[in-house]
Parts: sequence; structure tokens; C-alpha cells
Amino acid sequence: MHLNVRRALTNDPWFVTGAALALLLGFLVVAGPWLAMHDPHDMSFRPLSSPSSEHWLGINDGGMDIFSELLHGIRNTVVFGLLTGMTALVVGVLIGLVCAWFGGVTDHVLMRLSDILLAIPAVMILILVAAFFRPSPLVLSLILAGLSWPTTAKAIRAQALVVKQSVHVRAARQMGASGAYIIGRHLMPELFPLYLIGFAAKARMAMFMEASLSFLGLFDPSRKSLGMMISYALKYYYLDIWWNWLIPPILCLTLLIMAVTFLAVSLEKLFDPRLKEAL
Amino acid sequence: MKRSVKSSRRGQTIVAYVLAALVMMYVSYSVPRWLPGDFVTAMYASSHVTLNAEQEADLRAYYTQHQGFGAYLLDFFTLNWGYSYAFLTPISELISEALPWTLLLLGTAHLLSMFFGFLAGVEAAWRRGGVVEKTGVGSMTVLEGVPEIGSAVILLLIFALHLGWLPAAGGETAYVKQSAGQYALDVTRHLALPLVTLFLAYFPGNFLLTRGSMVMVLKEQFIETARAKGLPSLRIRYAHAARNALLPMVTRFGLRIAFMVTGALVVETIYAYPGLGTLLFNAIAMRDLPLIQGIVLFSSLMVLFVNLALEFIYGWIDPRVKHAS
Repeated sequence: MHLNVRRALTNDPWFVTGAALALLLGFLVVAGPWLAMHDPHDMSFRPLSSPSSEHWLGINDGGMDIFSELLHGIRNTVVFGLLTGMTALVVGVLIGLVCAWFGGVTDHVLMRLSDILLAIPAVMILILVAAFFRPSPLVLSLILAGLSWPTTAKAIRAQALVVKQSVHVRAARQMGASGAYIIGRHLMPELFPLYLIGFAAKARMAMFMEASLSFLGLFDPSRKSLGMMISYALKYYYLDIWWNWLIPPILCLTLLIMAVTFLAVSLEKLFDPRLKEAL
Repeated sequence: MKRSVKSSRRGQTIVAYVLAALVMMYVSYSVPRWLPGDFVTAMYASSHVTLNAEQEADLRAYYTQHQGFGAYLLDFFTLNWGYSYAFLTPISELISEALPWTLLLLGTAHLLSMFFGFLAGVEAAWRRGGVVEKTGVGSMTVLEGVPEIGSAVILLLIFALHLGWLPAAGGETAYVKQSAGQYALDVTRHLALPLVTLFLAYFPGNFLLTRGSMVMVLKEQFIETARAKGLPSLRIRYAHAARNALLPMVTRFGLRIAFMVTGALVVETIYAYPGLGTLLFNAIAMRDLPLIQGIVLFSSLMVLFVNLALEFIYGWIDPRVKHAS
């Protein structure tokens, strides 16, 4: 089973492309602070100068090194996405398992709550909170996670109910296995593919949101991010500096979203039994 | 039995939407009230927006008034949404000016991308395994990975800046006397770039979803029966199969709406299109809190309404739901 999965993944061009892009960007995220030759907040350079060997992508209107800004921006976007994805996943899995295991009133209440959360456009709440309280990105990330767990919880719950009724789990229970043992030994590992799908989808949504919200100016302006760089560079789009200032953050953001999208598509294709046939 | 299950499911959905609307209204009501002490001074002292003494007193009075949630709701339903400090205009007026532009842009983008995405998805599934289908799926998956910020800026650079074919900003040419025909052309030219950007963002999702579900439907037995009866392929494709393949596009719409709303905000802002998104962007830039609050609440309720309407359309399309009720 596991060998097959690995072979199927390495045979899937979407997975390979997505993973390669993700590795490349992951390297930039991890090594960013060492690759950046300048402090991205250092405003001591000549504004709007062209790229040089000292400043690979030139200097922006505020006298800051664009290449260093870019590296810090990618880092912030990726960290926001991974953190939100992880939190939403953990909350979603816990609630999904609790619903499937206990059923009854708990299940009913939590599922109605998730219906309500599904209907609320999360971005609007984020905008409201960001505009009024100017919270840290961490708080916004947690709020986004708190609003976006229901899809994961529903998927986990549905699959957990299937596994709960399966022959081997019934056999385990017949042999006297405790609830904790069945959840820990059977349910959680067997739902593993769903974690990957849920995490990829949530991380993708969060990175997209982070870029858009920082583009709209809802994050602290001293925090470097791809969206904010694009929004500042766009003010000078008629100058001849679009190719070294505007295009790099756009390219990075697009490659980032593409990498996560490819991974999400590939995982969903492989692990979602309903889609297996279709794609 | 079946009937009661279906109608209770419908009832639950409606209740969830009504509760979601109440939650949004309550959040909008209470967010300013959670703010600490003298936030007006704190917020405007650190920004480039300056208020005169009277405005400042007004704003402070507006946010410290002891208004109950009921009174707030009453105000909301009588379109008494407060006053914008940046535009010096009632908020209801600003929103009703911006709304038609947003509806024009988003409505057209959704209708076009759904219609063509659906058609292309059905045809692709029918030609499964062919070269056209494979390149279609491949390129659409790539396009699905392009965020609106990227495509909007690239299109802006190429068509507005480099080629100069289309206007870079606005929804119409201001201060020009035009005949009705010229005006329609002018509005279309301004609409073109944001519309294409949103179409490129929405189309791939609709295409891939329809294709996926159509491939599944084509494996069903009733399709085999239809083929065995010797029905023309066009009839099998659209009268029998496609109707069932339409459902996921409608059901997944609600899940994709977070992306869509965010994307639309960004696209409107990049092209300075005079809709709600640009209004919100300007409100954020000028820290016009009452206006931000008004737009957020209004557009959330609009999203809820569209989702609820889709829920009913779903029941109307799905033959199983229809027979059950």
C-alpha cells in the first residue's frame, strides 16, 4: 500500500513539479536571512536605483534593498500559510473525530456550528478585526484558522464514521480495545491522507489571503510581505522599474501558490476515493 | 420519510444562514465596543489622516454611544449606517453608488465563467483521454495556481501600459458627454481588463469541477442505457449527463467563495474599478472605520444571500431533491 502510494506520487507530474517548486521556495524561506545581503528595513540606499552587483534587484522608493525585502516577504507569507494550515488542521481533526466518536448532541451542536462558520465569509471578519485592532499576524492567522476548520472537520467526521463501522475496527472492539486505543491506533492513522489534503488546501487559502490582505494594507507596514511589495511597486508601474521591482514579488507569489495548488491537486487525486476515477 | 429528511435538511441550511447573518451583525456591532479606552486618539495620532476637533468628537461619540444591539439592528435595516469621515458622505450613499459596479463586474464574471466552464468541462469529459482534453486539464490546473494579484498586474502591464489598448483605471471616462452607445462602449472597455482577470480566476475551477463530475456521471448505468437506446450523443451529453454534472459546481461555490471575494477585492483595487472593493481599499487606507464596518457587513450579507439562493437553485436542479419534495 505505502510503496504504491510513493510510486504513484513520484509518477505524478503535478506532484513532482509542485514538490520541486516547494523545495526551491522552502530553501529560500529557510536560508533567506543568510542570503539577504542587507537588512530589509535599512533605508540608507539611493531610492529607485537600478539593479547592481551590490543590490541584485535594485532599491525601492524608500531606499530599501528589494532582494532582501523579497526574501523576508516570502518567508512571512509561507510562515503565515503553514501556521494557519496547521492550526486549522489540528482543530478540524479533533472536532471531526469528537463528532464521529461521540455522536449525539455533541455531534449535532458542533456540526451546526460548522455550518454557520462555513457560511460566514472569513475574509470579511479578518478585514474588520485587522482594521480595528491592528493585531499581530499571529492573531490573524489564528482567527483565520478558527474560521476555516469546518471543511476539514466534516471530511474527517465522514471518513471516521466509515472506518468506525469497518470490520477490523469492529473486531478490535470485540477483542476489548478501548476507545482511546481505537482512535489512536486505527482512526487517526487511517485518516492520514485526509490530513494532507486538508492541510494543503488550508495552507493554499491562507497564503492567498495573506498576500491579498497585505496588498490591501491590513498588516503592519513594517512587516515585509509579497502583497505589500506589489502594492507599493504598483504605484510606480509607469516607471521603467516594473521588471526589477514589481515582477519579482508577483513571480514568487505565483510560484508559491502554484506549488501548493499542484500538491493539493495531486494529493486529492490520489487519496480522495471519489476523485480517483475522475482525474 | 424521504420528504421530511430533505425538508429538514433545507430548514437546517436556512437556519445556519440566518444565524450566520446574525453573527456577522453582532460582530460588526461589538467590534468597536471591544476597543480599549481612547482609541480614536491612538489610531489617528499615528496615521497621516488628520481629523478636525469636531470630527474627532463626532467619531468618539459615535463609538462610545450606548446603543443596544436591537437599536443597532433597527438602524441597519433603515439604512442608517452612519457617516464616512473620509468622504464626508452618508455610508449608505457611498455603498449604493459602488454597488452597481461590483454587481456588473462580479455578475458578468461569474455568469461567463460558469457558462463556459461548464460547457468546456462537459466537452472535455466527453473527449476523455484525447490530446485536447489533456492539454485543457493541464493548462487549467496551472491557471488555477495563478493568484488574481499576479494575473491582474500582468494584464495591466501588457494591455493598458505597453499596448495601450485599454484604460488602466476607473469604470467610465469622467466628464465627457457621450451618447448612450458611446457610453456603453466606454463602460465595456473599462470593464474588459478586470472582467478578463476574474474570468481567468474563476473559469479553471468551474471547468475542472464539471469535468471531474461529468467523468463520474458518464460511467453511470443510465448513460449506458441511453447509449444502448441509440440516442444522439448531444442528447446524452446534455439532457442526461450534464444536468447531474452541474451539481458540484453549485455545491462547491459556497466553499470557493472565500477565495472569490478576496480575489475580487484585489482585482477591483488594482484596476481602481469604482466598486465596493476599491471603496473598501480607500476606506482602509484612510482609516475610515465606520465605512469599513459598513462595507464589511453589507458585503458579508450579500455573500450569505447569494449562497442561500444557490441552495435553492441546487434543489431545483437536482432531480432527486425535486422528486423528494
